[in-house]
Amino acid sequence: MNEVTNNNIKCTLALTALHDVYDPEIGLNVVDLGLIYELNFDDAEKKVTCIMTLTTEFCPMGESIVDNVKQALGATFPGETIEVNLIFEPAWNYDKISEEGREFLNG
Amino acid sequence: MFIVSGKTAAIKTTSYKVVLPFYVYAAVSFLVATFFLFFNSGTFLNHYFHPHTLAITHIMALGWGTMIILGASHQLVPVIIEGKLYSEKLAMASFICAAIGIPLLVYGFYYFKMGAPAKWGGRFVLVAIILYLINLWKSISQSKSENVQAIFVFTSVLWLFVTAALGLALVYNFTYIMFPKGSLHYLPLHVHAGVIGWFLLLILGVGSRLIPMFLISKYQNIKLLWYIYFLINSGLVGYILLFYTSSLEVLLFIPIAFILIAIALFIYYCYCAYKQRIRKQVDDQMKISLLSIGMILLPIILISIIIVMLMSFSINKTNLVLSYGFLIFFGWITAIILGMTFKTLPFIVWNKVYHTRSAVGKTPTPKDLFSAPVFKWMGIFYIAGFIAFVLGITFSILILIQIGAILLIISAALYNTNVFKLITHKANNNE
Repeated sequence: MNEVTNNNIKCTLALTALHDVYDPEIGLNVVDLGLIYELNFDDAEKKVTCIMTLTTEFCPMGESIVDNVKQALGATFPGETIEVNLIFEPAWNYDKISEEGREFLNG
Repeated sequence: MFIVSGKTAAIKTTSYKVVLPFYVYAAVSFLVATFFLFFNSGTFLNHYFHPHTLAITHIMALGWGTMIILGASHQLVPVIIEGKLYSEKLAMASFICAAIGIPLLVYGFYYFKMGAPAKWGGRFVLVAIILYLINLWKSISQSKSENVQAIFVFTSVLWLFVTAALGLALVYNFTYIMFPKGSLHYLPLHVHAGVIGWFLLLILGVGSRLIPMFLISKYQNIKLLWYIYFLINSGLVGYILLFYTSSLEVLLFIPIAFILIAIALFIYYCYCAYKQRIRKQVDDQMKISLLSIGMILLPIILISIIIVMLMSFSINKTNLVLSYGFLIFFGWITAIILGMTFKTLPFIVWNKVYHTRSAVGKTPTPKDLFSAPVFKWMGIFYIAGFIAFVLGITFSILILIQIGAILLIISAALYNTNVFKLITHKANNNE
């Protein structure tokens, strides 16, 4: 798993939700694609921060993927502030695809 | 509350409102061109410098090839240069100028009215290209990333400008004496600046980025791409210099060899990307696009035969020149567009319709937005029509030309069916 977190229980819930967010070109979810770098949960501030990337900068589907990540997390943690922090360092590469993702692409 | 922080500019893509008109214009042009092929089939038994042939060539080169490439590139340039498109207004202005100019130019050629219609058509097309060039230059200069693909794209648009400027000068040459010889003499320069400089350079540059991306391949070889870049440009410049300075046709094999080596290297590049792909399944759209790369070799082989015949003096090469042009515009350029349209347009439409819906409920994938059987039949009719038409021109058999044209009309109609199915797609309320 690529992701880093400070709350394993909430992280599992978040990842389950993010498994339903797909890169429509590749047909793989953003978790197995390795786009999610970090998930932080601030219970005091009621805030979820997702640090993620895209397969390429200015990816034509980028805005849609980010919007869907926000919505999936918002539905899982209602009432909490959802922040998606988009970074490109470290850049995404094919080694970030999970074993499950590779099996899916080989299928 | 939702917040997006970090590099948020990296998710702002070109609006579909800018891109879709180019696709629609191109799709209609393709259909119109195939009808022109059928109703002017007898023209293909005559000399290639015929008003109707010129009209069809320009519908294909500008209305079909250039319009769809301009549309797709407004969407893809940000991916390639890793920067935002400078201006959507300039893109729209470029579309409007081209959309007005192309029919005027085609009308001018068809009825051979080299006065106002052709001149105004040429001027509008030239302005459209200049606007695109400015947009591209400003976009690249604002981008932090300099890469070989961006250089390919920018150089190709410079060649497009040279092609259009020379084309307009050739139109003027019919009414004012601008060149020492007639326009027919300079036609090969105009054609090859467009075909090699614009289409080939651009398709290879963009393809070198998109083919590994769509195959999900780790393969990268920047050095090889630079070799390809220099081979194509030096081949083209060499051809122009030889055209002006040498009367020895045999020397033309030197630039042809350069281009041939560049294409062979690009095929090798695609092969390596294919071998190192992570996604094992290759869809039909990619298959037809990869096939089109191989189809580039056909006109190269044919032009070599034409030069050999030119040197033998006695053989009539008119039908071979027509076949050469057909192999280029209805061959590899059309094949790659047929494939790549359905690798790009479904995503543009999907993004427009399902932008914020895919995490809420089940949504179709981009591939579900067009009909796969219609795509398959489009491909079958296209290949059958292409082969029949080429054989018809090469061996001057009118009935084969007509059968080929009918098959191509069906293929173009199926292409339009899928394009209009895509652009009129609306989300089901249950989705």
